[in-house]
Amino acid sequence: MNKTVTINICGIIFHIEEDAFDKLSKYLNTIKGYFSKADGGNEIMSDIEARIAEMLQSKTSAVKQVVLMSDVDFVIDSMGKPEEFAGDASENNNSSDRGEGYDTYENGEPTKKRLYRDGDSKVLGGVCSGIAHYFGIDPVWLRIALLLMFFFAGTGFLLYIILWIAIPEAKTTTERLAMKGEKADINNISKAVKEEAEQLKKRMEKYGSEFKDMAARNVPRNAVEKTVDFIGDLLLNIGRVLLKIVAIFMVFFGIICFLGLFGTVFGMSFAVGNLEIQEWIDMILLDGSDFYIGLFGIAFFIGIPIIMMIYFGIKLLFKIRYYNRWLNLSAGILWLIGFSMLLYVGIRTGQDFNKVAKVRETISVVPNDTLILKMNEVNINFAELHVSDDSEEGEKDFSVNRRHNNFMIGKHGGVKYLLGYARLNIIKSQTNKIELIVVKEAHGSDKQIAKTRAEHISYNVIQQDSTLLFDNIFKVNDADKYRDQDITVILKLPVGKVIYLDKSLENMIYDLENVTNTYDGDMINRRWMMTENGLKCIDCDGLISVKEHDDDDRDNYIDPNDDSNGNVRINVNGVDINAQDAQIKVDSNGVKINSRESKLTIDKNGVHVKTKNNH
Amino acid sequence: MVNSENTKAQMRKGVLELCILSILSQRDAYPTEIIEKLKETKLVVVEGTLYPLLTRLKNTGLLTYRWEESTSGPPRKYYMLTEIGSSYLKELHLSWYELVDAVNKTINKQD
Repeated sequence: MNKTVTINICGIIFHIEEDAFDKLSKYLNTIKGYFSKADGGNEIMSDIEARIAEMLQSKTSAVKQVVLMSDVDFVIDSMGKPEEFAGDASENNNSSDRGEGYDTYENGEPTKKRLYRDGDSKVLGGVCSGIAHYFGIDPVWLRIALLLMFFFAGTGFLLYIILWIAIPEAKTTTERLAMKGEKADINNISKAVKEEAEQLKKRMEKYGSEFKDMAARNVPRNAVEKTVDFIGDLLLNIGRVLLKIVAIFMVFFGIICFLGLFGTVFGMSFAVGNLEIQEWIDMILLDGSDFYIGLFGIAFFIGIPIIMMIYFGIKLLFKIRYYNRWLNLSAGILWLIGFSMLLYVGIRTGQDFNKVAKVRETISVVPNDTLILKMNEVNINFAELHVSDDSEEGEKDFSVNRRHNNFMIGKHGGVKYLLGYARLNIIKSQTNKIELIVVKEAHGSDKQIAKTRAEHISYNVIQQDSTLLFDNIFKVNDADKYRDQDITVILKLPVGKVIYLDKSLENMIYDLENVTNTYDGDMINRRWMMTENGLKCIDCDGLISVKEHDDDDRDNYIDPNDDSNGNVRINVNGVDINAQDAQIKVDSNGVKINSRESKLTIDKNGVHVKTKNNH
Repeated sequence: MVNSENTKAQMRKGVLELCILSILSQRDAYPTEIIEKLKETKLVVVEGTLYPLLTRLKNTGLLTYRWEESTSGPPRKYYMLTEIGSSYLKELHLSWYELVDAVNKTINKQD
């Protein structure tokens, strides 16, 4: 008793024994492999199938209904082995495009080698054994290499999957033979490259001499044709080489990018709370789910193009012409999903920045004729700081540079805070009272939320007798998120009142209006009185205002006995350094360096050097 | 030893085209009929040879075909000569006789 299979050949039903069926379908597949590349291959196939149907029909009858192994053998015998007759199909359509890796069997020539997956000796998908065939090496080494690469962020796994998708399986005999064809090891590749170069050279020489001949014989039309041919040929060859280089670059660059991306995504999702950047993301994103949506969004949005780049690089490199529509489609869809995820997170977060609100809080100040303004350095445990601005982690003496959007994340008593630098401004009071106003600013999805957030910002100004201590830093609880919070302290000073700006305030004041237009950096360590027109310095002997300074520039002589105790100014006008014994001045007139012993001047008249001993 | 089978096969292959066109010039036929005729004369050893050849001749415009229902099997593809095919055949006939003549003369001279 034997099992039978029902098959349909050319619309006719046959009951065929299972082993006979296997043989027949293998036979048909082999023929199909031979004719797949020939013109009208499908037609030839259906003609052959029709004939086989006819033959099988003649072998069956009402009494003998089943096709047996012997019948199939008879069919194969009379039809012949594909290698006996298939040459005819490829002979005539091949001559035109040889050398392009066309699979041919005529004249018993070895076929050009192609990369296929070997389904016969596979462990997973036959990728390694296929590549091993291609390079003529033992697949074990490749398997070991891939396995090792697996431990590098799973690159081996990804590469394997991409290769699995990119490389078609060798199904027909043609493909199997092409898979095992002439060895394409490194030697052969370099040989092929050399040959290619040699050929190119020969061709160029040939064209060169032909071109000369043409020119000599004065056959312009032909010469032009030849030139066009030559250029076309040259471009084609250069193009091929470039394409290979691009392909190699695509694969390597893709793998490196993937490693980077994987490292980032992997690191971010598993090393929760231990990375600087993650603290920031926590501060900005609304909640944890947004974080993971964004993470996957990035993985898809960047990862898919990287993977496709590797995929197309491999296809280019090995001239794989097999096209996988589903892969492209699903890659496109995944990319779009990634994009939408990012968009979702982006919009959700962006909306929370939508509205801005300002809250003004007035702090009462006990009036005093001269107020000393100082900065109070907020004591934060910077050893616990995960994120600092420019300074190294744990470094205590960080420089407080007032800049916009200059924030830090720090821990204070176990609670995570967002820290920002406050700014101080001093303006004229309309009343005769000293007023101190703290303007708190924050963003939110609506006015109310923004306002609540602004109110949550903690910031202190303390008065000790005549001294006002301004915190340099404001704190935002991490639950309030980073929403572009800002603190501006406004000191409203009535006319006639005097303040002393302590040196510590240097970086807290920003563009303070004053009657002499003095820069912030020059305003510290001095007393200023509020006048009708603004702040006026009352102990600024020796301080050169910007206006006076401009006039100074016309003066060619720098008084070496200037009694100021040293003055450094670097601004748009140039450099002006006055030390006790030396001056350096660089401005639109040139360079002047004076010291006790010598004098150097570079100006429109040239370079002048004067020393004390040698006039 | 020189493989004479290969040479014979090549010879047969060369004249196969002429034979097919000749058979079809007598009357339209479907592949099985053509094969049977060729088998009678031992011109074809394996049937598979025929199909790519027929397709090629059809694609170059020498042959065309029509479908005919069969009472006993799948529909049959009846091949027939086109006008180009007929004139092509005449040319082949001429050169065939020339060739046979030339070959005979050469062979006989060497005897």
